Amino acid sequence: MSGFFQATIYGLLQGGLLALVAVGFSLVWGVMNVVNLSHGAFVVLGAYLGWQLHSSLGLDPFLGMILVAAVLFCLGYAVQRLLINLVVNGPIFITLLLTFGLELLLVQGMNIVFTANYQSITTSYAGNAVIVGDIQLPLGRLLAFALAVVITVALVRVMSRTRVGMSIMATGMDRGAARLMGIRARHVYAVTFGLATALAGMAGTMVGVVDTFNPAAAGRFTLLSFVIAVLGGLGNMYGALVGGMLMGLVQAWGGYFLPGTWVNALAFLLLVVVLIFRPSGLVGKAFYSARLEV
Amino acid sequence: MKTPRYLATASVVTLALSLSACGSKGDAGGDAGAAAGVLNLGASVSLTGKLAREGTLTQEGYQLCQDKVNAKGGVKVGDKTLKLDIKYQDDTSKPDTAAQLVDQFNDQGIKLILGSYGSANTEAQAAVIERNNQVMVDSSGADNNIFAKGYKRTFGVLSPATEYAASIVKAIAELATPKPTSVVVLSADDGFSKRAADGAVKAAKDLGFTVLETQYFPNGATDVSSALNKIKGSNPQVIIGSVHLAEGVAIVKQSKELGIKPQGFGETVAPPTPDFVTTLGADANGVLGSSQWTKSASGKDDYFGTAMQYEADIQAKFKHEAGYHNAEASAACLAFVLAIQKAGSTEADKVRDALAALDAPSFFAQLKFDATGQNSTKPMSVIQIQNGKMVTVWPKDSAEGKLIWPGLAS
Amino acid sequence: MAPTLSPAWRQRWPWAAGILAVAAAFGLQTQLYSGQVRTVGTIFMFVALALSWNLIGGYTGYASFGQVVFFGLGGYVTAALMTHAHWSFWLALPVSGLLAAGYGALIGIPLLRLRGHYFAVATLGVAEGTREIVTNLPDLTGGGGGITLPTVGAAASTKYLGNDGFYLVFLVLAALCLLVTALVSRSKFGFALRAIHQDEDAAAAVGINTTRTKVLTFALSGFLTGLVGATYAFQQVTIYPERLFDVELTVLMVVMVVIGGSGTVLGPILGAIGLQFLSEWLRQNYTTIHTLLLGAIIIAAVILLPQGLVNYLREARRNGDYSLLANVRRYRL
Repeated sequence: MSGFFQATIYGLLQGGLLALVAVGFSLVWGVMNVVNLSHGAFVVLGAYLGWQLHSSLGLDPFLGMILVAAVLFCLGYAVQRLLINLVVNGPIFITLLLTFGLELLLVQGMNIVFTANYQSITTSYAGNAVIVGDIQLPLGRLLAFALAVVITVALVRVMSRTRVGMSIMATGMDRGAARLMGIRARHVYAVTFGLATALAGMAGTMVGVVDTFNPAAAGRFTLLSFVIAVLGGLGNMYGALVGGMLMGLVQAWGGYFLPGTWVNALAFLLLVVVLIFRPSGLVGKAFYSARLEV
Repeated sequence: MKTPRYLATASVVTLALSLSACGSKGDAGGDAGAAAGVLNLGASVSLTGKLAREGTLTQEGYQLCQDKVNAKGGVKVGDKTLKLDIKYQDDTSKPDTAAQLVDQFNDQGIKLILGSYGSANTEAQAAVIERNNQVMVDSSGADNNIFAKGYKRTFGVLSPATEYAASIVKAIAELATPKPTSVVVLSADDGFSKRAADGAVKAAKDLGFTVLETQYFPNGATDVSSALNKIKGSNPQVIIGSVHLAEGVAIVKQSKELGIKPQGFGETVAPPTPDFVTTLGADANGVLGSSQWTKSASGKDDYFGTAMQYEADIQAKFKHEAGYHNAEASAACLAFVLAIQKAGSTEADKVRDALAALDAPSFFAQLKFDATGQNSTKPMSVIQIQNGKMVTVWPKDSAEGKLIWPGLAS
Repeated sequence: MAPTLSPAWRQRWPWAAGILAVAAAFGLQTQLYSGQVRTVGTIFMFVALALSWNLIGGYTGYASFGQVVFFGLGGYVTAALMTHAHWSFWLALPVSGLLAAGYGALIGIPLLRLRGHYFAVATLGVAEGTREIVTNLPDLTGGGGGITLPTVGAAASTKYLGNDGFYLVFLVLAALCLLVTALVSRSKFGFALRAIHQDEDAAAAVGINTTRTKVLTFALSGFLTGLVGATYAFQQVTIYPERLFDVELTVLMVVMVVIGGSGTVLGPILGAIGLQFLSEWLRQNYTTIHTLLLGAIIIAAVILLPQGLVNYLREARRNGDYSLLANVRRYRL
């Protein structure tokens, strides 16, 4: 039985981190209707930046994460303001194309700058485990999970209590009306995207601690973000958390009861079933799919 | 009447297509290279995509070979000496692109091809090689399947897949004291890994080990926790991983997280790669790996010298330790050069026959191919990571150090 | 008054242009080397794929992010039939298409109730899930290790077609997709699709059976994509699930259609040819940075022509304004 509990706990920890990877993607899609195919590339970029800070300055990744977030916020702001804002009014999948091109650019750029070597941020403590009874709680993953939850809660606070957050929500609900109220939509969109990439970067650094990565891993993270964001409901932060943990659990339980190669099939089956029966996601709200745009 | 614009556009487009094709037909084709004193080998390598890391190592091996051969004046073909010039193309890690590139090389008159990285790409290329009557020397496709199809024009310099994990088992059986009794095999689910895993299970049973179970996970997985969770209860003394780099690192990392402490790990492909030590740090110590080549291999040749010299050359040119991916690539290129010189010609059929009859020593191993084209007499080396360095521990006559057993780092 | 086309000509000239183009493509084969034949054959393959996606994604507006599932299914059905049951390729080809169409109808019924992004991700989930299922049936499909179609010796039920043969098959498939698209575009069915795209509820209100129309279109696009997948499997000889169900193929289809102009007949063709040519050329001449350049060029193309090439040309012709900067201004926030 302890194997089952171990798998469950491990899955939840993994899920929390996955949720953080996906939350930015969900935000951007839900608020701006932008499908960011380069999201995974930003995650990997965050991992590389965290790794670079760790290897050059010896900065602990959980601290370096903050710096990474700041850098990636600026990058995301610039990308949205200068590139994506140019096509936001176009037919629905134009942003998809733009971010596809961006992904090629970023991944290849990282390939050239950092080489295709696999990397990992090795810390002295991340591999050790806190032992509770029969269950091992790896320290690195535990920290990552805790931070992911904290950041998500903080994000919800920011969105609902601060001016910036509320202007993001307002622009997401009705861009025309928001503009009429004096909200600068271009700036708000850029802030949203910057926020999303900052979150991606932080998640990436944490991924770098618990996992190995290289530029080619970007696609995997984008795919994961797709699934979790929709599972939880687009634009819904708590939904992303729920979706992520559910994903982690499903993978852990699937891996425990079925032959190892069935795990991914189970995850996608779950997605399809949820979509058929609860299309707006597990925690999603209906209004995001009936958005007005001017 | 006024020609409608779209009709005009369509005609112009199709006309342009035809014309551009006419134009390029004039450029391509013919051995313009040979006339100018250059010997072209074609190499499609994975410079981007998920095999980019290994593809780059392969390219490095080819590049060093080119340097060494040209330093000696070039390739002696009959009474001429031709400079070696390898033409590279990126197959983006996709087997269909790798195969397409072989066709494109064929169009340019390049009949002698150096293999791409990995069994999937090589298998796709081998099919095209056979159809086009080209010749390929395979540097990194170890899957026995490639050579079980009756192809006559592909030759592999490396030991077959079934030896990868089996050699580790043999090393443990011979050297480990006290000898462990139980083994668990973890394998990725691609063809090459499954072949290696089967070889390990067979070798383990033959040598008196109990194989407790075999678990599979998806190729390229960085999270193998579910497989590890399943085997934790059976308390294996040895964990053999038939994997690639990502899964190999994950097995060691996550075993530590989950509190799985066997007497030792043995993995294919991952431990001899430099990234293994850099990503795992101290946790890499004690892990056994199998390698197609180590710097303590015996054997020398006129171009690369000994294995130690090869290591020094790679270090000087590329600023990292030589891995077996470099070495097997250089060996493939060397095999071509030796065969061409022996045949006294660059004609595909003659080179093919020369390769089939080749039996030459090299810094890598004896280059000799059996009837299916594989280098089945070549032994693999088993290494162990000790203090962050790769140390050859088996076979005994090329061992640099003793096996540390139990191998698990604290 | 300037001479204009007679009504009969205006109706017929696109057909004439199409037949001319296909004939030219047949003739092109004699001008190319074997490797170039293969490259151009791949271009035709993408033309067919782009056109088939265009049916469900462009005309109907239901962007299927999992279109590759039909490609993979077509390929694997052919592989299984040819390897295990020793069928001829020519028999396996239509059967694969039909089975892919059937799968499309089956999953279409629940999935086409979803709209917009949710439909997109659901199809993506189905595609990835199907790939995983295929990987886990090694006795039938060879699993992760791949499956090899018999092309040599006595087991080969059909002689391998070679680069020239596959060129012709892909060309015929592209022509078939072109024909289907042209017929759909001008028929009542096509109008129904466009109506659904513009306002599905209004379309239902005027009496279009939206469910039946959508499922039919999905199955049709699945049929065409499945045929292409089957041919691809035969061409590759050894196929792996991660390649045949590669999400990148779907993304390429979408990119080609949208850059060329979605919901048009010519758009996907131009997009497919243009993108394939470009990526081939870049890969051959800029071996180390070709993906970087491709990404930059796609970004530029999307910013300058957000509505796709064909739609841009149409609007520009109508307004007399070809300025690209004005185009950008029209679509930016």
